[in-house]
Parts: sequence; C-alpha cells; structure tokens
Amino acid sequence: MSGEAVAEPKPAVRTSLFKRYENLTVLSIFAGFVLVIVLLQLIMGGGTKFPTFISPVNLLNILQQVGVAGIVAIGMTIVMISGGIDLSVGMLASLVSIITALGISKWQLGVVPSVLLGIAAAVVLETTMGFIISRTKVEPFIITLGGMITFQGIALLLCSSREVIMNGELDFLKANLIQGAKDPISHLNLIIPPYVLIFFAIALLGSLLLNYTKYGRRIYAIGTNPQAAYLAGIDVKNMKLSAYVIMGVLVGIGAVMLLARINTGIVTLGQGLEIDSIAMVVIGGTALKGGKGNVVGTLIGVFFLGSIGNAMNMLRLPSEVQFVAKGLVVIIAVSAGDISNRISGFLSRRRELRWHAEQRATKGESVQSTK
Amino acid sequence: MTLGIQTIYQEHVIFETLSVMENIFAGAEIVRRGLLHKSEMKRQTLAVLKYLKSNLSPDAKMGDLSSGEQKIVEIAKGLVFKRKVIILDEPTASFSSVEIDNLLDIIETVKNSGLGIIYISHHLEEVFKIGDRVTVLRDGRKVSEREIAGLTKTVLIKDMVGRDPSTFYQREKVPIGEIVFEARNVTGNGARDISFVLKRGEILGISGMAGSGRSELMNVLFGSARLDFGVILINSKVVKQSDPKQAIRNKMCFITEDRQNTGLLLPQTIAQNVTIANLVNTREFVVRSRDDARIGDRFVKQLGIKAPNSQTRVVDLSGGNQQKVVLAKWFNTNGEIFIFDEPTVGIDVGSKQEIYRVMVDLLKQGKAIIMVSSDMPEVISMSDRVIVMKNGEKMAELCGAEISEENILTNSIGDKTI
Repeated sequence: MSGEAVAEPKPAVRTSLFKRYENLTVLSIFAGFVLVIVLLQLIMGGGTKFPTFISPVNLLNILQQVGVAGIVAIGMTIVMISGGIDLSVGMLASLVSIITALGISKWQLGVVPSVLLGIAAAVVLETTMGFIISRTKVEPFIITLGGMITFQGIALLLCSSREVIMNGELDFLKANLIQGAKDPISHLNLIIPPYVLIFFAIALLGSLLLNYTKYGRRIYAIGTNPQAAYLAGIDVKNMKLSAYVIMGVLVGIGAVMLLARINTGIVTLGQGLEIDSIAMVVIGGTALKGGKGNVVGTLIGVFFLGSIGNAMNMLRLPSEVQFVAKGLVVIIAVSAGDISNRISGFLSRRRELRWHAEQRATKGESVQSTK
Repeated sequence: MTLGIQTIYQEHVIFETLSVMENIFAGAEIVRRGLLHKSEMKRQTLAVLKYLKSNLSPDAKMGDLSSGEQKIVEIAKGLVFKRKVIILDEPTASFSSVEIDNLLDIIETVKNSGLGIIYISHHLEEVFKIGDRVTVLRDGRKVSEREIAGLTKTVLIKDMVGRDPSTFYQREKVPIGEIVFEARNVTGNGARDISFVLKRGEILGISGMAGSGRSELMNVLFGSARLDFGVILINSKVVKQSDPKQAIRNKMCFITEDRQNTGLLLPQTIAQNVTIANLVNTREFVVRSRDDARIGDRFVKQLGIKAPNSQTRVVDLSGGNQQKVVLAKWFNTNGEIFIFDEPTVGIDVGSKQEIYRVMVDLLKQGKAIIMVSSDMPEVISMSDRVIVMKNGEKMAELCGAEISEENILTNSIGDKTI
C-alpha cells in the first residue's frame, strides 16, 4: 500500500489471457481432459470406432446425470459469492423428496400441492439457517453442518426410516422432449427430459441475476468486503439471508427433479449432493472466501465433474477410480488458477524490474532516489 | 530481547485463550525432561505478581482480563525475564482512571527495582506524575530533553508545537453559506454530548489524540454506530439515521480512515467501486456494465486516477489513487455533506495536494466537509473551524486565529480549562 506510484507512466501492463478471462484456466483443463479421453478411446478402438465419449447420446446422458446437482450448484454459486457456504443441501434434498413423496402417496394431497409443499419446506428451512447466519457471527459452515444433521433426523422421522415409493406421478418431469430422435452414430434414442431444460433456464437466470442486476452487484460486494459494503449503504444482513432463500428454492426444485428420476423418496437420495455441488462451484473458480466467481465457471465445473464418472465408464475403469479422479480434478483445477496467477505475476514483476533498470540506465545516476 | 529490552505496544500482543502464566512464558517455556515444568513457571509468575501487589491468578484466562490487567501481565513478563529496560507505548489508552493510577503505582514499583522505563504518552498528567526526564519528539526529530523537576506544562507544550505555519498548504477560502448539518448532544459509541453546526462551503476540522473518540463520533453521525441520545439535523430537519443506507439517501458521504478495509472492494474494478454506493439512489433493478464503465471512466479522467481505464482492479492502484476511487464513489452519490476521516493518511505529498484541491472544489460547489485528522498542519491549513476532542467529549471549538498548534494541543492533551 505504501508503494507509491512513480510519476512516469509504467510499461503497458500486458495481462495474460488467463487473467483477463477468468474461466479460461479451468476451461482449458477441461478441454485437455476431454481430449485425453477421446484419444484414449481412439487408441483403444484402434482408430476405427467413433469415440463414444463425445457421441450425442452420451453427452445428453451426462446432462441428465448432472442436471440436479447443477441446479443446486447455481444456488451454491450465489451463496459462496456472498461469502457463505451450505453443507445442508444434500440432506435437505432428501428431506424434500420424502415430504413430496409422502404428500403424493400417503397424504393424498395431489401432485402440485405436494411439490409446492416440498419446495416451501426447503425455503423455510434455508431461510431459518440464513436468518441465524446473517444475524449472528457463527460461521455458516457450522450452522449448515448442524442443519444437515437436523434435516437427516427429520427426514428419517418422517418416513420412519423407510423409503416412500410412488407410482410414477412425477414421470412427466422425465418425459423425453425429443421423442423419436436418434443418435446418427449409435442409433440409440436421444433423450432430453424437462429437468435438463429447467437446469439451463435456472443457470441463465442465475447468470443474468449476478451479472446484470443491482442484486448481483450487492452479492459480490458483501462477499468481497462486508464492512465496506455496509458503509456503502448495502443491507448486508438481508443480502446474506436472501442468498439462502434462493438456495432453498433451488434445492426444493432440484429435490423434486431427483424424486422424479428415482420415483422413490429416500433419505440417501441427496447424499453427496453438497460435496458434488461445492466441488463443481470451486472447480468453476468461485472463491471459498467469497466475492469471486460466476455462473459460467460453475457450468464448466458441473460438466467437468459430471463427465468424470462417465469417462471412467467409457474407458472401462472400475467405478472406484472415479473418486480418485474427481478429487484430483478439484485439486488441480483450483490450484491451477493460483499457479497461473503466480506465473503471470512473476513475469510482470520481472518486466517491471527490467523497465526500471532501463530507465535508470538511460537517465544515468544523476537522478536521486526520492527516499 | 537479547539486549534485555521489552516493548509493550499500544495494541496488545497477547494470546487471549491462554492463561496469564502461559502468556508470560509463551515461546520461552521452562522445560524439564522434555515436558513443561508448570510448577516452576507458576512459582515465578506468582512471585512477580506478588511483587507487583497484584492479586491476579496465574491460571486466569488472558481474554477475561481488562486491558489494564493485561498490561500488568506484560510488565510482569518483563520482570520474570529480568529485562533491563521496558518500553511502554501509550499504555493507558482506553483505561479507566482507577486503572491508570494502579498502573502508575506498578510502574513506580518496577522503577524502584532498578529497571529503566521508557514511557511514551500524550497524557501530560501521567508524564509529570511518573517521569524523571522527558524527551519531546516532533516530526521524527528530537526537540528537547528536560528534567521534570521544575518543569511546567506550558514549557512542554511550547516544545511540542513550533512548526512554521507559513510552510503549511495554503488553502483557498470559499464564502460560507447556511447551516446544512447540525449535531445536538450526540451521544453514543464512546462520543459524549457533542454539539456543533456545519455550514455550506466550510471545512470543520475535528482534532484530538488517537483514542479521543473522533472516528467513533463519525460512525454515529453516519448511522454506522448507534446513536444513544441526541439528534442530527440535516437542512434544519431532524433525521433518523439508523444505518448508512439512510445516511446516503440524506446525501451524506463517509470517506473512512481505513480505505482498504472499510472503503473499497479491493479485488473489484474501479467502475464497480465507483457505482456501488449509489445503488441505494437508483431505482432500476437492472444495471448495465457499459453505464458503469462510462461513469468510472469519467471519474478516472476527472480525478486523474492513474489507471488505463475504469476496468482496472482497485487492488493494483497506489494508495493515493485508491483514495481517489473512494472519493469518486461518493461523488457519484451526489452527496452534500462529506465526512473525511484522515483523508491523506498513507498518501504521498503529490496526491495529498490533489486531494486538498478536490476538497476545496467541493466547497465551491456549496458542499460541506467534516474532516477528522491527526495531521496537525492539515487541520490548521484546511479547517475553517476546529473542534478538539478528548475522551469522547468536545473540549473546545476554535475558529479563525484561534486555530493554532498550541491551542489544539493544549485542549487535546490538557485539562478542560481554556
């Protein structure tokens, strides 16, 4: 901070591409990953077979698998940019699925009221946690950890530790929107269910919200520096709260999608959702300490993480390997950003030093240093 | 430390969750056969505490102690390790008067045990009470060294002042208009019963020593700290300001002392920083980055911020340019009443002059400024009137020729006599 600028113009700072486009680092790693998988498939097939990993049917397959986690990851992006985190989303999704399934099959509320009831429950519970987080100084990590355990308990109590089976009342959510379309390569049926479209719609909305609205500006501001944001007239507490309310809506929607796919409300339904969604968000470049990140990055993270398991299957590797691969991807993607920052920082420092040395050389030593 | 010198800083350097004994022996634990020798450490701690006539328990948690007691523990540390010299930097800031007497007694005891003590303070009473000799420093230079015996406060204050006013920044005066802001008996956040008025075209300087409650008062005025009692009037109307949002709507601006932590969104761009405070005044829900960039670029040009354009991140700017971004943020809200808390702290001479010019420009537009500053030449050269604060209270209001180093200093460190 004390390093005061010299009066002369500095050398034009050439920021690296990776710094200018913040998603480029992870995008290039992802592209590299896809390339490696495709090459491996080509080699294994002797170059005769089309790499099935990038066949349309498989790409749509991946989309179906990541849709729900993706919806939650959009919410997680907003929460994490605001400086928070939510560990409870997995168990909350399980709870919502059980409530909705019970509403449909046991309480006979009808499909729409049951779905609304489930989503409402998610909103209320997230709002409660958000209220505590925004009004106290307790870490969101702790509050949502407590929430996760509590929701698991409530879910188990509600279903008496048993699964709640439905009769396919939510099947309309997984109906194929492009009935009859065939993959030109494998001639398998192509499937796009509505929830994939809902995922894209939510991603688009989230992106617009963060980039083009007052609300988005404020979310970034409170995540960057809550104190400065407060003094700039931003209601920091309510902004934090609102992020969790949005999260509630999205977890609610995601859980209903999940229920539609499995057709059974069960406590293990949302298991691992918090880990997956947080991993997707951090792969996409959102900082754990808040203030940084974007939906496009998260989308890359969603597809990246979602395609790992699929790729392992394509390569006929044991499914256990995918955990190792997923873990490594998280570590590599997140540290790559830092490493590329260091390299570009080092280069620009060196450029600057060289420039100063040249200045001194041309002016000679007659110029006295100011201090 | 190897020389036997122990410095006790103004801000505590302590481990709050550890006990008194553990704090004293932190990093220099007595060890026997690889394990902590607790009984020996406790014995030594108790002995020293007893010598200091303190009834603190060696097992008390440091964080539970008052700041006065924490100081005693730090002094005890100096005794345990048989230091030769103890340096105390403003030890009594934020002390109650009982605690001050207590600490001064302890220092007397320590002095009599043969240690040398360097006691840095702006409280003249304390200096006269415990000092044997006094050295006056000004602007990093030693001005005088005197024996306390036979010395008077007036002589000491003469030593402390004495800058040549003709070397100060020469500010252009602006015609002063009607009253725009008024505080009546404002109390809260450490400020007590402060009343003053502020007129258009005027800079009201707030002077006082560190810890005199100036920044605390500013936070109350801006709504970022609780107003317990009193009223604030803007344009002769009583306003309720329970948070900064309302203050900004009432056309107030607060350039905080610590711009990095409370003024700026460092990793974000100039454009984003400039537009953030004005969000409370805009109705549109949708914001356009292009508009923000345009506003940002305008201020970059207008204030001469050294950056290629408004898409530069604030963290990459120098102190002076960061301060200009803070100013731009507030100019963008079309504020009328500006609070500058230490406007030029950590800023080079060139940027300082530019910021002074910007402040005078504000006055020419009929705006009003409250300026908190510890920089004596700044207060004297920039202010139309000066309020001197001490312990959260208003000690004096000076105007015109009364604004002198001597008057300000006498009021901020002396008794309430003038």
